[in-house]
Amino acid sequence: MQTSLTPRSLGQPGILSDVRAFQAILGREWRIFTRYPSWMIALFIWPLIFPMLYILTARALSGPDGSGLAVFMKTTGASDFIGYIVIGTTVWMWQNIVLWDVGFSLRNEQMRGTLESNWLSPTWRFSYLLGHTGPQIVSMLMFISITALEFGLLFGVKLHGSVWMILLVMLAAIPSIYGLGFAFASLVITVKEANAFVFLIRGLVMIFCGITFPISLLPGWMQSIAKWLPQTYLIHGMRAAAFSNAGITELLPDLIPLLLFGTFWLVVGYSTFLWMERRARRTGAIGQY
Amino acid sequence: MQTQSLSQPSLKTQLRALFVIARKDWKVFWRYPLNAVSNIVQPIIWITPIYFMGKAFSTDGQALGFAAYSGTGDYMSFILLGTVLTNYILTVFWGMGYALKEDMDAGVLESNWLTPVSRLLILIGRTLTSLLTTTITSLIMLAIAGALFGFKPTGNTLAAFLTAIPMLLGLYGFGFAFAAIVLLMREANTLVDVSSFLVQGLSGTNFPVQSLPYWLIPVAMMLPLTYGLDAVRGILLKTNTLLPINVEVVLLIVFMFAMLWFGSWFFYRVERRVRTLGTLGQH
Repeated sequence: MQTSLTPRSLGQPGILSDVRAFQAILGREWRIFTRYPSWMIALFIWPLIFPMLYILTARALSGPDGSGLAVFMKTTGASDFIGYIVIGTTVWMWQNIVLWDVGFSLRNEQMRGTLESNWLSPTWRFSYLLGHTGPQIVSMLMFISITALEFGLLFGVKLHGSVWMILLVMLAAIPSIYGLGFAFASLVITVKEANAFVFLIRGLVMIFCGITFPISLLPGWMQSIAKWLPQTYLIHGMRAAAFSNAGITELLPDLIPLLLFGTFWLVVGYSTFLWMERRARRTGAIGQY
Repeated sequence: MQTQSLSQPSLKTQLRALFVIARKDWKVFWRYPLNAVSNIVQPIIWITPIYFMGKAFSTDGQALGFAAYSGTGDYMSFILLGTVLTNYILTVFWGMGYALKEDMDAGVLESNWLTPVSRLLILIGRTLTSLLTTTITSLIMLAIAGALFGFKPTGNTLAAFLTAIPMLLGLYGFGFAFAAIVLLMREANTLVDVSSFLVQGLSGTNFPVQSLPYWLIPVAMMLPLTYGLDAVRGILLKTNTLLPINVEVVLLIVFMFAMLWFGSWFFYRVERRVRTLGTLGQH
């Protein structure tokens, strides 16, 4: 008797074929990412120059004798103003990059004219978004590590806490940051030109989440808005973990809202994707741009 | 009566080409009204964290540290003025490179290049609408931001405006050179973003360059924009200037001629090279 072992075809959907499709998307995205060396340059330069604008402004506000800095330290409770600003700006950059990368991933496929044909393959369609997310998380981890290294080596920013606690806060924030990205990616497919929405969302983070200042300085109504943005807790939690040696107990007031927001945004992200998928099939607008 | 054709180039036809390019860009700009809203709101969003950060550095609402460097404690007027000038810098400096990249992506660069219009004129034409829209959106932005954060210029507006002109014209030279680099590299985004941030950071858009680390001050002093921003602020806000304002104005005029010459020379050299290689239409 002769038996032949055939690999499980994508035409027979199952968990294994979904995993294989996910791997293929992951591989393709990684290849695209490494093909453009300008991204690698940006990976080293952006972590330095974006916070620098705020750091240099902070230097100017400090004055030649550092009198302003003493006031800032007292107001914020921070021991290191550079580290304080770098954490805020890095979180902002993280959300910004996710919006552009994950948020525009399906749109880019649409612009290249490959979205419709991909959509026809018998794969779990959400894996297109997840496939984009994998390399994005890896590149963001590299980005944040490079930021920490550069500011540690060049500016002497010292960690006064546990790296594990920082990672824990970041891990708790991943569902909300990427859930928002998923929801955004689905909306972009529908409304096409969405740059203004990116500006709006990243603008909210910039104004309300205290990237360079404590939110206690905001007027009451702005503080109320800040409490509804997960990035506020992420920035606060990372600062506490990095510079105040906060443990899990001290971080719980940040971790719990982050997880709740994460669940909310993942559900919103997935639901929006399903809605967009149904709508796209009904209206036949998936290939239009 | 016959209209002068573009195939018989004259001053009139060149001006008509400029007008046509500007009108096309004007139409495109207003087809996306959200862009105009974004141009107004974006700068306000970017400076809001600085406003609150400034409060964290202030005692009884006075930014004394900032005043020690700049000669004024009104850091928001200082930054707002820098933001408006930066809008123009972005328009002229990077606008031409971006426009070339857009034409490359849209596949119309080669056909535009075949028209009997000076290539530098095509580049200049792409900035005219941007200059007008930048003026409109910057004035609205200034009115809103002034109401939110306060904007109190006390100096001579006309003198400040006249001082900014050689800076802007000199920037056209920079813009030509930058457009040439885009022609060569065919990738503008990273180049624009990184260089724009560096130039903004080092020329003192948001802070007096005197507050830079000592090793960065010589770099800032080599950037002509530093003197433009410094002189305009010195006139309008009575801030401490790096050099006497008259000297800064002379430097700006010298820079204007030097950059216009160098920028156009470099652009034509690169453009010839790109045509020789046949890579003009590639992107």
